Amino acid sequence: MKFQKRTLGSLLIVALLMILAACSGNEEAGKESESKGGAGKSSNQKITIFQSKVEISDQLEALAKEYTKETGVEVEVWGTTGDDYFSQLQIRMNSNQGPSIFSLQNVTEAEKMKSYVYDMDSEGYVKNIAPGMELKVNDKVVGVPYGVEGFGLVYNKDLVKPEDVADYDSFVRTLEKFKAEGINGFGLSKEAYFLIGHISNYPFALQKNHYEYIDELTDGKVTMAETKEFQEFGKFMDAIKANTPSPLDVTYDKEVGDFAAGKSAMIHQGNWAYGMLSDFNVDFEVGMLPFPLMGNDKLAVGVGNNWAINGKKDEAEVKAANDFLNWMFTSEIGQRYIVEEFGFVPALTNIKSDKLDSLSQDVLNASNSGKTIPWALNYFPANIIPNDFAPKAEEFFLSKDMTGKEFIEKLDDAWKSAVK
Amino acid sequence: MSNKSNKWWYLLFTTPLLLIFITVVIIPFLIGIYYAFFEWDGIAANPKVFVGFENFVQLFGDTRFLASTWKTILFTLLAVISVNVVGLVFALLVTSKLRTANAARTMIFMPYLIGGLILGYIWQFIFLDVFTLFGKVTGFDNVFFNWLIDIDYALYALVFVFTWQMAGYIMIIYIAGIQGIPNDVIEASKIDGANGWQRLRKITFPLLMPAFTISLFLTLSSAFKIYDVNLSLTNGGPANSTEMFAMNIYNEIFGYSNYGFGQAKAIVFFFIVAAITLTQVYITKKREVEM
Repeated sequence: MKFQKRTLGSLLIVALLMILAACSGNEEAGKESESKGGAGKSSNQKITIFQSKVEISDQLEALAKEYTKETGVEVEVWGTTGDDYFSQLQIRMNSNQGPSIFSLQNVTEAEKMKSYVYDMDSEGYVKNIAPGMELKVNDKVVGVPYGVEGFGLVYNKDLVKPEDVADYDSFVRTLEKFKAEGINGFGLSKEAYFLIGHISNYPFALQKNHYEYIDELTDGKVTMAETKEFQEFGKFMDAIKANTPSPLDVTYDKEVGDFAAGKSAMIHQGNWAYGMLSDFNVDFEVGMLPFPLMGNDKLAVGVGNNWAINGKKDEAEVKAANDFLNWMFTSEIGQRYIVEEFGFVPALTNIKSDKLDSLSQDVLNASNSGKTIPWALNYFPANIIPNDFAPKAEEFFLSKDMTGKEFIEKLDDAWKSAVK
Repeated sequence: MSNKSNKWWYLLFTTPLLLIFITVVIIPFLIGIYYAFFEWDGIAANPKVFVGFENFVQLFGDTRFLASTWKTILFTLLAVISVNVVGLVFALLVTSKLRTANAARTMIFMPYLIGGLILGYIWQFIFLDVFTLFGKVTGFDNVFFNWLIDIDYALYALVFVFTWQMAGYIMIIYIAGIQGIPNDVIEASKIDGANGWQRLRKITFPLLMPAFTISLFLTLSSAFKIYDVNLSLTNGGPANSTEMFAMNIYNEIFGYSNYGFGQAKAIVFFFIVAAITLTQVYITKKREVEM
């Protein structure tokens, strides 16, 4: 009995000590590799990738396997559900368990992560980025675009002709015509970005310099309500509310599904929607038109995501991460994956793409001919779209008597509360 | 075995639990209090600025937080009443001489086994498709429409789904309470000529007081802390009308990246929940009767 007691006691103490040691030991090791570095061997180097685009996660894993087969470097791809990617990334970085390669959506996110992002200026692949598409912080390139994406009016070529939606008057006439015929003329859906995020980009992007405009807006020097692009945008929103069913009842799936079934003539979407359209085997031709705010004839083309490297990792890991990105952007397999498997419209000039779907082709054509307006929303305050804009848009679509003008004033309030 | 060695056995089994509890609850809570005094965006490498009690002062100027406080209180009030009434009625039904009592018991308890997230998504579908269709077919479209996109009804929808989820669980507690009431007391009352309602009021309810204490505590605290159903059913919408406490805190921290301010909210939230539930337990405990 006595013996048992003593063993039990010492067992307990040992267990306790081990737990404590494990905790503190881990931390030490983590710190060491963060600060010292340079000791790892590249032969058995391992890199990790954490990225937010769910659509390509399987394909990326396949690509990682190809890379391991070719070079022996192990690549681990971490999964995510997409929505809370940035908070996940933040948590991992904070606990010193960050990935070697991660993705950043825009400048605002890059600036938040500026203590981590690796300066890519001297890397070879940076030279191939299409002009103006690189992600920069303090004039240093810190991110390579996944690809370019574009959004606008995705339309059914059997029902709509481009001249039907060339400006405000023709747009409203077209909506009224479709309403009389019992067809949904224009579809939005209830998810924050599809409800208000993308469509609210136009009045910002049509400013002479949208960076300056947004800064002035933040400083309170201008208001949306007094800017003419926004005044017309309010009129557009009025026309949409008056002539189409409420988007709050419509999910992304239903929006695209109704369009594929011919129940909607136009929806506000991007080239990413083609994946779903091809699942439906649509029997008509689809194309993308500019949203005709102030007679705009350009597509909104921009970068949705960028590859960045975690500069806080040790030298060997950073080098391995660079090697991987370089291989992905230059090797035949990597380029094939980017275009065919990921389905991206390449943002690197050294990648050829001739097998694009019709929406992506429209985006690439616009991009090549310079008929593009920027994604000003990349420079919005972080999370303003789901947090502040979407509730106001819901209010607008729910209340029968709120006008477009009042809606713009609400957006002004939303902006103020987001930057306070 | 002697008492002394028993002590070691207790230690062996409680230490791991205690360690886990300390690491995942106590320590984060203390660190959270610490962060509440800083202005910080939640990224380790970025600077933390000490601001003292400013975060707490700022709370009272945050209209969205105050609105969500009011919504949470309203929701909790409605939810506690409806969950307990429905749960108690169910318990009384399935302990009566109902033929299908056992099957009913299982079925009513079932929703509790479904996770809150999934439950929310299922009901989202029901409100969006089933309700609207039913309203169209029967003509009662002023009752059966998509509640989730109506600023006032969305909160009731949340109460409804929460009741659906919790009532079965609360029923189990009431059943245990009802079965604990000695049969001879009931029989004696029958002989004395008490009718069903009198028996319920004078005997069942007073003797159920301990069950009330537990049920009210459980529903109060879980209604206050509701997040999963809130997230999946309405995600705070439409127009922020159903943004409860927990969601407001999450959005503050991860949406706006105000880590310190969000923590301050969380601390205040903790004290509110603690104060309300403790008061409730104190009051109902005093009304418990000894047999």
